[in-house]
Amino acid sequence: MKSATVATGRGTVWVLPALVLVVLVVGGGVFTAALQSLGLMPLVGEPALSFDAYTALGDDLWRSLALTLSLATVSTALAAMIGLATALSALSGSRAPLVAAGLTVTVPHLIGAAAMGLLLADSGLLPRILGSTDGSWPELVGGRWWIAVVVEYAWKESAFVAIVLAGTLATRVAAFDETAATLGAGRWARLRLVTLPLVRPALIASTAIAFAYTVGSYEVARILGRPYPEPLSIMAVRLFTSIDLAARPQAAAAAMVATTLTVVVAVVAVHFLRRSAIWR
Amino acid sequence: MIAATAGLVLGACTAPDSDSRSAESLPWSEVEEQARGQTVSLWMYGGDEQGNAYVDDVLAPAAADEGITLRRVPVESTTDAVNRILTERQAGVTDGEVDLVWVNGANFGTGKQAGAWLCDWTQNLPNMQYTDPDDSLLNNDFGTPVDRCESPWHKAQFTLVYNADAIEDPPSTFEEVLEWAQANPGRFTYPAPPDFTGSVFIREALVSTSGGIDKVPAQFDRETYDRLAPVLFDRLNELAPSLWREGTTYPQSSAELDDLYAGGQLDMTMTYGPATLPELVSGGTFPPNTRVLTLDEGTVGNASFLAIPSTSGQSAAAQMVANLALSPEQQLIKSRPDVWGQFTVLDLERLTPDYRQQFEGIPASPVVPSYQELSAGAHPELSAEWVTPLDEGWRRNVLAGQ
Repeated sequence: MKSATVATGRGTVWVLPALVLVVLVVGGGVFTAALQSLGLMPLVGEPALSFDAYTALGDDLWRSLALTLSLATVSTALAAMIGLATALSALSGSRAPLVAAGLTVTVPHLIGAAAMGLLLADSGLLPRILGSTDGSWPELVGGRWWIAVVVEYAWKESAFVAIVLAGTLATRVAAFDETAATLGAGRWARLRLVTLPLVRPALIASTAIAFAYTVGSYEVARILGRPYPEPLSIMAVRLFTSIDLAARPQAAAAAMVATTLTVVVAVVAVHFLRRSAIWR
Repeated sequence: MIAATAGLVLGACTAPDSDSRSAESLPWSEVEEQARGQTVSLWMYGGDEQGNAYVDDVLAPAAADEGITLRRVPVESTTDAVNRILTERQAGVTDGEVDLVWVNGANFGTGKQAGAWLCDWTQNLPNMQYTDPDDSLLNNDFGTPVDRCESPWHKAQFTLVYNADAIEDPPSTFEEVLEWAQANPGRFTYPAPPDFTGSVFIREALVSTSGGIDKVPAQFDRETYDRLAPVLFDRLNELAPSLWREGTTYPQSSAELDDLYAGGQLDMTMTYGPATLPELVSGGTFPPNTRVLTLDEGTVGNASFLAIPSTSGQSAAAQMVANLALSPEQQLIKSRPDVWGQFTVLDLERLTPDYRQQFEGIPASPVVPSYQELSAGAHPELSAEWVTPLDEGWRRNVLAGQ
């Protein structure tokens, strides 16, 4: 017991430099944004506490929150399913999907989004090859359903989920799985009773990360989306770079709402992680 | 990074004063002396490849001959540079990352309002003698008095561009363009403001729906806005169902609009920099019979400038570069269509006969007529105070309204 405590203490010391940096940069940024959103850090004029920045955005803020939440939920759910399927296929011997996932992870989202745009936009490569540049091409890029955006996130994040899950599967699950098989468990029983419970913590952690990333991400929705309604991150950047200096507190307000959403998801994820067997 | 964050946190509760900084009044020879060996970071919009090539291959070597290192920093939008300067001001930085910015309009106005620019220096530039001191485009930048806080660089003219293969009988007024769009559903659209080009389009539409530039006061006032803007938004809403994707959405940038035009989805596009068109046509990006659409009532013109941030520690060299950029030699090279094709800010009457002849001898391209023809009947920009209310009003009434 004592040695475990010492080990934990040493572990804490090792992560301290990274932790200090993250807390200073992220904490400083969030603190500044909070001050700006509350009118305590104006670019011109006297500081005064107010919630004007939040109320000034009106319904648009709620619409953006709903859009952000839907985009993140749908693309993360798709990423979780595809990622899990990819990792499981690796367990059953086929390596190709996992190699594809490994390659995908190295592609930056910006490049991914630009490539999706070149491929799927109205003047893109696919409609040109298929000869539907006359307006018959479905509205994938900039369309009402944000399809290109969801596809890009689902593609990139499923690769991330697959890599994380495959790591877990390779270390522990394979052995347990074989043991269960020798004890006569069928395929379905092994998946339900052995594999899924064991990958659950990794699945929760990786989808929570993917979700948080999607909420904060800017470039994909900017390149492949439409101007209205807009996700919170785009709203924040648009207002921050507005030529109207008075819009800056509103930008900070949009950023604070996105941050809160991310924190809530992280708390929920940690709650479920704590309840899972691996944590104890 | 940590220092910057800490600086922001410490400076959290004090807003910097908004007075602008004046340049030290020094004889030009002394500025030249100070400038030698300094490095100037020129922050400019990076999406114009001819512009990038001009600065890298022509202007920077010329600056190097004067003992100055010119470093081009590409930005997606000039607002990024202004925001950087404002943040540096907030953090009390005196030798900032930005020494020179290619700027005009609202970005200049906002920066001036927040004291971001160094002022009282352009009158010392030797090459200012070649500009017309009464040229209103050079004295007022979108209605903001220039006040010696930025030195002129180019002139520009907003132009609509069309594919002559698709439109045999092009419209000749702005209202006719809108009527043409309604008669040809799905073949026209415009970028969503706050995109710069989209924002100009909205202001041109305002001028048209208000009955001409004389009916729109250059200085903003709420009462006039409340009278004129509803007519504009009604007209644009009436137009919307005939636009690309039935006006349910709009391209987010002028680059996206250009892509649609290049791909044949649209028959018209628009630009504030017609200089780049010949290159786009000869390179095969735009249809071969792309032409500039000149309107009877003229279009809006402006000038763009080089400004020195008040946070620059290299302001002597920055002044030298601004002076160099204004020289007849550089202005001449820059205005050649194969170099950058940017219209000169110099007054040809004030040049030596030799230079005047060379400027007049610049070959016109079949795509873009000469500046004289392009700027016929041109009107100046409305004041920068118009921009945000119109952009926001459009967002609420046209974009979100459907």
